[in-house]
Amino acid sequence: MQTHREMNFDALVVGGGIAGLQAALDLADQNFKVAVVEKDASIGGKMIRLSKVFPTLDCASCITTPKMAASAHHENITLFTYCDLKSISRESDTVLAARVVQKPRYVEADKCIGCRQCEYGCPVHVPDPEQGNFSMRKAIYIPFSNAIPQIALMDVENCSLCGKCAKVCPTGAVNYFQQPEELVIRAKTAVLATGFRLTPLDQKPEYGKGKILNVISSLDMERLLAPHGPYQRVLRPSDGKEPDAIAYVQCAGSRDKTLGVSYCSRVCCMYAIKQAMLLSGALPLADITIYYMDIRAFGKGYEQFFQNAKAMGIEFVKAKIAKIEQADNQSVRLRYEDQEGAGAVMEREHDLVVLSLGMVPEWHPEGICPVGCDTDAFIRTPMSRLSPTLTDMEGVFVAGVAAGPKDIVDTIAEAGAAAMEASNYLNKLNKKAAA
Amino acid sequence: MADNNQKDPEPKVGVYICHCGGNISDHVDVAKVAQEAEKLTGVSVAHTNMFMCSDPGQELIQKDIKDGKINRVVVASCAPSLHELTFRSAIKRAGMNPYLYDHANIREQDSWVHHGDPATEKAVALVAAAVSKARHLEPLEPIRVDARNHATVIGGGVAGLRAALDLSRRGIQVALVEKSPFLGGRVAHLNRVNPTGEKAADLIRPLAEAVCNDAGIQVYTCSRVVRFEGYVGNFKLGLKRQPPETPEDLAKLEKWAESGKKEGDYLPFAGYYPQKVPNTAEETEISTGAIVFATGFKTYEPRKGEFGFQENPEVIPLPAFIEAVAKEKPKGGTLTLNGRPIRRVAFIHCVGSRQIPGLHEPDDQGNLNEYCSRTCCSATLQAAIEIREAFPETRVLEYYRDIRTYGRGQEDQYERAADHHVLFFRYEPEAPPVVERAAGGTYPLTVTVKDTLTFGETVEAGVDLVVLAVGMEPNPIQDLIEMMKLPVGADRFLQEVHPKLRPVELANTGILLAGTCQAPMDMGEACNAAQAAAVKAATLLSKGYVELDPFVAKVNEEKCTGTGACVSACPVEAITLKEAEHQGKKIQRARVNPALCTGCGICVAECPNNAIDVMGWTLKQYEEMVDAIVAA
Ligand SMILES: Cc1cc2nc3c(=O)[nH]c(=O)nc-3n(C[C@H](O)[C@H](O)[C@H](O)COP(=O)(O)OP(=O)(O)OC[C@H]3O[C@@H](n4cnc5c(N)ncnc54)[C@H](O)[C@@H]3O)c2cc1C
Ligand SMILES: Cc1cc2nc3c(=O)[nH]c(=O)nc-3n(C[C@H](O)[C@H](O)[C@H](O)COP(=O)(O)OP(=O)(O)OC[C@H]3O[C@@H](n4cnc5c(N)ncnc54)[C@H](O)[C@@H]3O)c2cc1C
Ligand code: SF4
Repeated sequence: MQTHREMNFDALVVGGGIAGLQAALDLADQNFKVAVVEKDASIGGKMIRLSKVFPTLDCASCITTPKMAASAHHENITLFTYCDLKSISRESDTVLAARVVQKPRYVEADKCIGCRQCEYGCPVHVPDPEQGNFSMRKAIYIPFSNAIPQIALMDVENCSLCGKCAKVCPTGAVNYFQQPEELVIRAKTAVLATGFRLTPLDQKPEYGKGKILNVISSLDMERLLAPHGPYQRVLRPSDGKEPDAIAYVQCAGSRDKTLGVSYCSRVCCMYAIKQAMLLSGALPLADITIYYMDIRAFGKGYEQFFQNAKAMGIEFVKAKIAKIEQADNQSVRLRYEDQEGAGAVMEREHDLVVLSLGMVPEWHPEGICPVGCDTDAFIRTPMSRLSPTLTDMEGVFVAGVAAGPKDIVDTIAEAGAAAMEASNYLNKLNKKAAA
Repeated sequence: MADNNQKDPEPKVGVYICHCGGNISDHVDVAKVAQEAEKLTGVSVAHTNMFMCSDPGQELIQKDIKDGKINRVVVASCAPSLHELTFRSAIKRAGMNPYLYDHANIREQDSWVHHGDPATEKAVALVAAAVSKARHLEPLEPIRVDARNHATVIGGGVAGLRAALDLSRRGIQVALVEKSPFLGGRVAHLNRVNPTGEKAADLIRPLAEAVCNDAGIQVYTCSRVVRFEGYVGNFKLGLKRQPPETPEDLAKLEKWAESGKKEGDYLPFAGYYPQKVPNTAEETEISTGAIVFATGFKTYEPRKGEFGFQENPEVIPLPAFIEAVAKEKPKGGTLTLNGRPIRRVAFIHCVGSRQIPGLHEPDDQGNLNEYCSRTCCSATLQAAIEIREAFPETRVLEYYRDIRTYGRGQEDQYERAADHHVLFFRYEPEAPPVVERAAGGTYPLTVTVKDTLTFGETVEAGVDLVVLAVGMEPNPIQDLIEMMKLPVGADRFLQEVHPKLRPVELANTGILLAGTCQAPMDMGEACNAAQAAAVKAATLLSKGYVELDPFVAKVNEEKCTGTGACVSACPVEAITLKEAEHQGKKIQRARVNPALCTGCGICVAECPNNAIDVMGWTLKQYEEMVDAIVAA
């Protein structure tokens, strides 16, 4: 490693999704110094990648960017993006130490002005995972248009080393020899806000193991629906056809012991209904069907949202999908037992099928941080009724999906709660130190 | 603020138009709007950006300010409620007065409702109006008021206790006001709580003890807020402590007396009893900086005849069932209640929740509870499991619409219930189960349902008891809602400013929301909300002062003749007449308390002399805006 830096803060927040940012803001607003460590090149988490968000149908960017910008510009918050968390351990009664590796972007952060000249100049095109791989990006790029920070990074796997980016960069920021940097971040308290990833698309043999054309994940659909998405409209990926019949398969990765995910992922009912509503706006003539076991519209205003969707003509079919197959013309065939009819086995074809995949933790602390997890693999909260953000490690709190699936509204409240616990913990330490 | 731009006599307006990632630009020709804006008097630059609120968007503005190109900013984007603050702080960071800014809403008021050319034309007009106003803006400074390091929590349920404790630990003095003689709220009326299976007593007792032993918290039971005045940082509340009189309180006090317990103890199905009840009514006043609402919920009271309620003694609501079962020792065999063996018990879900207009009957006031009460599914399963485990001979039948075991650990409970052979029937809201007196036979009641799990078969079952999983309704706090002018939603719960941006704040600055007074929640969720509210209150009070926007009325003393028209017109009593001396004569002049003024502008309309104006929204500025719209 080239360099090594050590820094001290009051609080460390791991994860720069909406949970981490809200917790950081609530701490920083009370004048505590906060470090946010994020593994991606931009803060914002899943939320900044969504289209519009239930139940208000605000555009996700519009709600996330102010919190992202507020964190980035807060005098008490320091962001560490594109970082690998190696370990968090207790150094003393009052100090936690995090070892973090700043991964090389091959672009010097303090020189890059985010002008994108390198991106425009780069001749290499690769599928863009930020757009569900539906469209292309370059081998040197800014992650997405409202990313924070606006610093380019190089995808070394795909870079052809042609040297063009270094030539066009007006500030000489491109550095092919940049080395990882080791950071030691010390803080008195920590909030874990590491969020989730979706259950894999290719997990279930009955659902075609991800091999069937035009079966996509719910996050892919978020990109198709986003105003600045890959096609700027909703097209099915295999042939660019505008889909006339779209189906949602609920609980595609949840409430299913065979997948090791026996729990409910809590947001999929609502995001499917939301996407269905947005689709009926984007494709007014399309038939949209949601196959479900139970509709779990439990939050404030959610049941009304569900009833509105029904009134809009979105079809809800009570059925567990038994099998998904490729049909002719790249369509998708669903097989299910009809619960409302006579219980016969039914088959129906759709142009595009969305799997409402479940949530699993993005981060597993084993070997990195001595904090316990539950049988569901999310971080354990031993006092879930009265202090839901407490973990089994003193001074370490948890917020958002890291402590189990939840939507944005519940995540934001929980982040506030974690910030309250962390500030009272800091208060206690500071009082002890003063005594 | 070090800044030369402001004194620049020539307004130079920068106009920034947002695509909103297509939300605006799909309908409004933003390039055209920029072109038209550039032609307007006083406009120096006009730019467009994919997301003005993103960092690159904000930097665009900041660069133009720093380059001296502009000294006024107009952003045309979404509703100001979303981003006005974002842009003001960007401007401030660039060294310019943040109030030299105006906002044109071309999304909610334009691209979301108009399409094609009319949308672009409207955007041009809105921008022209904002530019005209911006040219006449003057730098303002926020109003700073001292804030008392004291918060008042109203409601002593789990959310109120949680908030009080956290605030006090943060170094803030707390008054906790509870209307009943007991602390603990509805949780004190539970036996075991799901999904952890902990005893409610083991949770509420230590929490209430911690609150009552905390020197920083003053607990007032049997008390209500009867007077309210002031503003954030400096509220004054009148508290009335009086002998309990509601039948519910009296019944609980009787139970308490029978138990022989002393103050500072806990009795299941009553709560924690911190202090003796008063013999006479007494009033006190407290000065407080912030108010946390934690007034909780009450359970839905079924109508007579709803699922046989009040027509059959064997039909009871879930809370009564929980209390009755808690008294029974688990002894295997069959559950007996009041000496009656309960061989089969039916639970009916969604009673008083998820009501559908046209299908369900509204209550006396015409209200329908269209929302899901969120906690009843798992509370019902909890009760079902407890019975199956303690009284294995008692069969449990559940009639549901959707099983909503969404929370961590709850789906396992659903499975456990199934493993315990709880029988599930699923009904459609159009065909709810029918509860009737059996015409003879083994069971007193029959429940008949069209079961969609068995493909619409009609299933009839005899049962000994029917338990109604009643939903939640907000506690009746109409007095407080009117006194403090609090916003409520169509569901009658208190309404937050925005569910994601400001989820625990009411529009009334300094008044926060904790727990089920906002919406149905379980204990964990209520505690999260309480702690989120506490952290907001702590942030608000920790600096010792609060800054408020300066959009308040200001009197032009030259023009004011002391008519008092504004004083009687002001709905929040922010204006008074004060004595002054003018050329040896005593005169009266209006004086505004800026901390109380909400900037509503009623006084401006009332003043016969045009002597009062709202800063940032002056009559002159309005006139300019109207002229610009007419001209556009
Ligand atoms: C398809 C879909 C649609 C949705 N739609 C909605 C909706 O409309 N409304 C709604 O309310 N909710 C919606 N949700 C739910 C919403 O996405 C979550 O509630 C929210 O994103 C949770 O935020 P979080 O911060 O807890 O987690 P995340 O958004 O996952 O953020 C976690 C952050 O931590 C970072 N991180 C993880 N591990 C590490 C590590 N070891 N070191 C450093 N950083 C790390 C991640 O990179 C990420 O930035 C939807 C979810 C899905 C899947
Ligand atoms: C049948 C049933 C079973 C449940 N089971 C579970 C469970 O197993 N697990 C779980 O997590 N949750 C459960 N819940 C939910 C749980 O009861 C709530 O989450 C919790 O009670 C919410 O607490 P709160 O403080 O918001 O409101 P409350 O408990 O209602 O407390 C509000 C308090 O405010 C007081 N108050 C009201 N108005 C005023 C006023 N004007 N002035 C002063 N004081 C006032 C009230 O007297 C009360 O003490 C259940 C709910 C029900 C109905
Ligand atoms: S939680 Fe269950 S029983 Fe309660 S209203 Fe919602 S769906 Fe109905």
